[in-house]
Amino acid sequence: MNQLRHVGKSVKRKDGPDKVTGRAVYCQDVRLPGMLTGRILRSPHPHAKIVSIDLSKAKALDGVKGVITIEDSKGIKHGFVETPRYPPDQEVLARDRVVHVGEEIAAVAAIDDITAQAALELIDIEYEILPPVFNPHKAMQEGSPEIHPSHPKVAEKESFSNIGGKTESGWGDVEQGFAEADYVREDRYESHLRTHGYLEPQVTVAHWESDKLNVWTSSMGAFNKRAKLAKVLDLPYSSVRVHKAYVGGAFGGKIDLYSHEFCAARLSMLTGRPVRFVASREEIFSAYRHGQPLVVELKTGVKKDGTLVAQELRIINNAGAYRGSGVVVVFLAWGFTMAPYRVPNLKYEGYSVYTNHTTRAPQRGHGCPQVRFAIESQLDTIAEEIGIDPIEIRLRNARVPDEELPNKDNVHQAGLQECIKIAAKKTNLVAKYGRDRKSPPQDTSIRRGVGIGISSYMSGTLIYPNGSGVIVKMNDDGSAIVLTGAIDLGQGAETVITQIIAEELSLDMDDIKIIASDTDTTPQDIGAWISGLTYVTGNAARQAATNARAKLLIVAAEQMNVTADDLYLDNKEIISQSNPDNRLSYREVIAASVANHRGDTVIGEGFWRTMRDEPNHPSLATTKGRWTENYAFSAQTAEVEVDIETGEARLAKALTVHDCGFPINPGLVKGQIDGQVSMALGHAFMEEVMTKDGYTLNTSWLDYRMPTIHNMAESEDADVITEQYEVGQSYRTKEVGEGLVSGILAAIANAIYDATGVRLHSTPFSPEKILKGLRELERHQK
Amino acid sequence: MNQINDRTTVNGKKSRSRVLEMSINGEAHEITVKPRVMLLEAIREKIGLTGTKDGCESGTCGACTVLVDGQPTLSCITLAVECEDKNIRTVEDLADGENLNYLQEAFLDQGGTQCGFCTPGMLMSATALLEKNPKPTRDDINKALEGNLCRCTGYNSIVDSILQVSDQGVKPRLL
Repeated sequence: MNQLRHVGKSVKRKDGPDKVTGRAVYCQDVRLPGMLTGRILRSPHPHAKIVSIDLSKAKALDGVKGVITIEDSKGIKHGFVETPRYPPDQEVLARDRVVHVGEEIAAVAAIDDITAQAALELIDIEYEILPPVFNPHKAMQEGSPEIHPSHPKVAEKESFSNIGGKTESGWGDVEQGFAEADYVREDRYESHLRTHGYLEPQVTVAHWESDKLNVWTSSMGAFNKRAKLAKVLDLPYSSVRVHKAYVGGAFGGKIDLYSHEFCAARLSMLTGRPVRFVASREEIFSAYRHGQPLVVELKTGVKKDGTLVAQELRIINNAGAYRGSGVVVVFLAWGFTMAPYRVPNLKYEGYSVYTNHTTRAPQRGHGCPQVRFAIESQLDTIAEEIGIDPIEIRLRNARVPDEELPNKDNVHQAGLQECIKIAAKKTNLVAKYGRDRKSPPQDTSIRRGVGIGISSYMSGTLIYPNGSGVIVKMNDDGSAIVLTGAIDLGQGAETVITQIIAEELSLDMDDIKIIASDTDTTPQDIGAWISGLTYVTGNAARQAATNARAKLLIVAAEQMNVTADDLYLDNKEIISQSNPDNRLSYREVIAASVANHRGDTVIGEGFWRTMRDEPNHPSLATTKGRWTENYAFSAQTAEVEVDIETGEARLAKALTVHDCGFPINPGLVKGQIDGQVSMALGHAFMEEVMTKDGYTLNTSWLDYRMPTIHNMAESEDADVITEQYEVGQSYRTKEVGEGLVSGILAAIANAIYDATGVRLHSTPFSPEKILKGLRELERHQK
Repeated sequence: MNQINDRTTVNGKKSRSRVLEMSINGEAHEITVKPRVMLLEAIREKIGLTGTKDGCESGTCGACTVLVDGQPTLSCITLAVECEDKNIRTVEDLADGENLNYLQEAFLDQGGTQCGFCTPGMLMSATALLEKNPKPTRDDINKALEGNLCRCTGYNSIVDSILQVSDQGVKPRLL
C-alpha cells in the first residue's frame, strides 16, 4: 500500500503526443479572424534625445490600422523588480530619450507584414545624439554620461554614477580572517554575454473583445504577465486573460513584460481587432534581453589544511540600459557564493551598473555559473598552492546536513558531501588529476584533463505571485480534472503534477486531464521561473488531492459502516482493510456524496507557499531575510580534451551527481541535466553575443553558434536521494532545472587547467585564450 | 497616400499571384501565392497546418524542416513556387490518426522532446534518414540532424530515439 505507483517513476510526458504530432499550439499558431500584424520601430542609436516624432505619413498609409507611441499609454512604468528602493524604471515605449540600440519607440498594426514594415519606414524621427557608455567600470566613474538621472541614488556615499543597484552583505570579521589565514589569494574573473537561444521566437497575440483583453504570449508564468500587463494598461486583473499556449523554450528570457506585449494589447484596444507581434530572430539578438556578464573580484584566505577562513567578493554587473533583473543577479550571486561552503568571515559587495547596452534578463542559473566559475577556479588554484587535492579542499569546506546558513536558512538533509565523494569516485578524479599536465604524452597533441565544480541552488523563493493553488475536480465516473496555473516550458510540469495527483488518489495517469496556465480558469501559480514549481505547485497539487481524498473517505466510511482509518484507495476503489470484500467504487462514493452531502461533487483544493512564516522576499540591498526552504546541491565533473596545437578544447564527458531531494520523475530530471550540460558547453566553448558600441554584431544562429548534434557530450548522472515522498505528507524536492549549468562550467575550466596548465580567468574558453596561455607557459619554462 | 503592399507595382510590374498544385501529406492542394511566399508560409497560412514551426525565418535552426519529394528541406528559405507538383510531407503526416508511428513513440520513450519546438523538424529529418538508411550509425545520425538545433535536450535523447527505433540496442527510458 505504501508502494509508490507513479511518483518516483520515469513516466512519459503528458504533453508528449501533442508535441510529436504537431498538434501542440504555440503562440505563433494562434489564428484569429481579422488579425492584424504588428511591428515595432526601434532606436538606431545607443543613446539619444528624441527631438520629434512625425507619424502622419505612416498613419495615412493604406492598410495601416493603428500607430502608437508612448503618448498612447497611461505612462505607467514597470520593472522586473518593483520595490521602494528600486521603483519601476521603464516605460512601455521610449519617452523623450532612447538609452539602447533597439529600444522601442513606436508600433504599428497593419493588414499585413509588408504594409506594417512600410509604415515603420514612413515614421520620421529627429534625434539628438547623446554620449553613450558601455563599459561598467567607465559608467561608474564620476562624470560619465548619466543614463537615468532621476534614478534614486542607492550608493549615496560613493561618487559613482549609473549605479542601478547595490547588494552589501557579510558576517564575521574579514580583516581578522585574512590575518589568521596561512594563505591568501586574489583573482579577477570575467564572464561574457550569452543568450538564451529559445527556439520559439517571442510572439504575442492580443484581442480586446467585450471589455476583455485576451492574450496569448510566450511566457514563463501567466500570472506574472497578467499582473504586469494589467498594470501598464491600467486594467483590473479580471479584464486581462492570459491564455495557455505551449512555450518553445524560455531559459529565463520570457519572464518580464516586453514592450511588444503592451503594443499588441494597446493596438488591439484601439483598432478593435486582434493584433499579433512576432519578434524576428534578428530583433531577438539585437534588441531583446540576454544574460548578465559579471566581473568577480575574489579574495580568499585559507588555513594550511584548506579550511576557508575569509572571503571577500566585489561583483560588477553590466546591467544594460534598464534595471531588468540586474539588481537581482547581484543579490543572487551572494546566495550562490554562501550556500555551498562554510566561510566564517565574508564580505560581499555587488553593483549593478546601468550602461547603454540592451536590458538584461535572468538566464538559466542567474548568476550562479558566473560566481561558481570564479570560486571553484580559485579554489583549485589554492589547493594546488597549499598541496592538497581538489576533492580534499572541497570536502573540508562543504556544507553538512542541518547546518544553519548566515541568513538563518537551514540546509536540512544537504547531500553535498556525498555528491562530492561519489563524483570523485566515479571519475577516479584524484588518481587522474595532473596526469597529462605532469607527464604530457609525446605522440599526440591532445591533452586530457579532469575537473570538478560544485554548486547549490535555491528551490523557490518569495516573489510575486508568491504562492500556487491547485484544484482537483472529481468527475462522477471517478476520473479527475486538474486545474493548475503551472506552465510547462518543456521541463514537464504538467506530467509531474499529474503523477502526484495520480499517486494521492490512486488513479491512472490517463484518468487525469490537466487544464493549465490560464489566468481566468486556473488558480494562481508562482510560474516556472523561480525554481520552485515542483516543490511549491507540486505540494499544492498534493494537498488538493489529499483534500479530495479526505472527502471521498468520509463519504465511503459512512456508506461502508467503518471508520475512515480502516479504508484505503486502490485503483478507483475504496476498500476496507478489515474486510476487503467491503468496497465501493469512486463512482459509487461520488454518487453518495452528491446524494447525502448537499450535492458535494468532491472538489479538492490545495495551495502552497514556501517559507510560510516569512513575510516577504529577502532584502536585495542587505540580503537579510530568508531566501529558500530547500537547497539543491551538486558536484559535477568534466573530462576535456584540448588540442595544444590549435587550442581547441572539447567536453568529452560530464558527470552530474546531485541532490534534488527526491526525483518525482527521474527521466525528466535526466532531461534537465543533459540540457544544462549542453547549454554550459555552449557557453564554455561556442557562444558569445558580440557587441560594438551597443550594436550586436552577430544577429543570427550562423554567427552565434549554439551546440549542434556534433557538439554533444556524454552526460552521466547520479542521484543522491536525501528526502522521501509519502502519500498524504508534504515533501521537499529540490531544484534541478537551472543550477546545473554552474558547477559544470567551473569543472570545464578546471579540467582545461588540468590538461594544459593554462588557468583561464574569463569565459568563453576560446582557442585564442588557450593558445595564449600555452605560449606564456612556454616562456616561463625557458 | 501611396499604397505599398502586395498589390504595389515595382518598375511598372505588379507581382502576380500564381496558382500552384502540390500534394501535402497525400492530399492534393491548389493554392494561390505571391512568388515571394516561402513554402513555410504556404503550409502554415494557406494550408493551415501549423505543426511545422517557424524559428528563425533564415534557414539557421531547422525547426521548419519538411520533406519535399523525400528530401529534408528548410521550408522557410524555399519558395512555394519551387514546390509546384511536388510531394510535401510534414509532421502531421507521421501518425495514423491517434496512433503514433514508431519514431514518434521512440521520442516519447527516450525523452527526445521537451519544449517540443524543434521536434517537428527533428522528426522530419529523422524520417528522411530512416527511410534511406534503416540502421544509421552515429555518424549518419549526426550528419542527418546537423541542421536541426535543439536547446533543451542536449541531443543525447534524440540520438537514442533514433537508435531505439532502428533497433540498435537502446531500450525505452521512460514508462
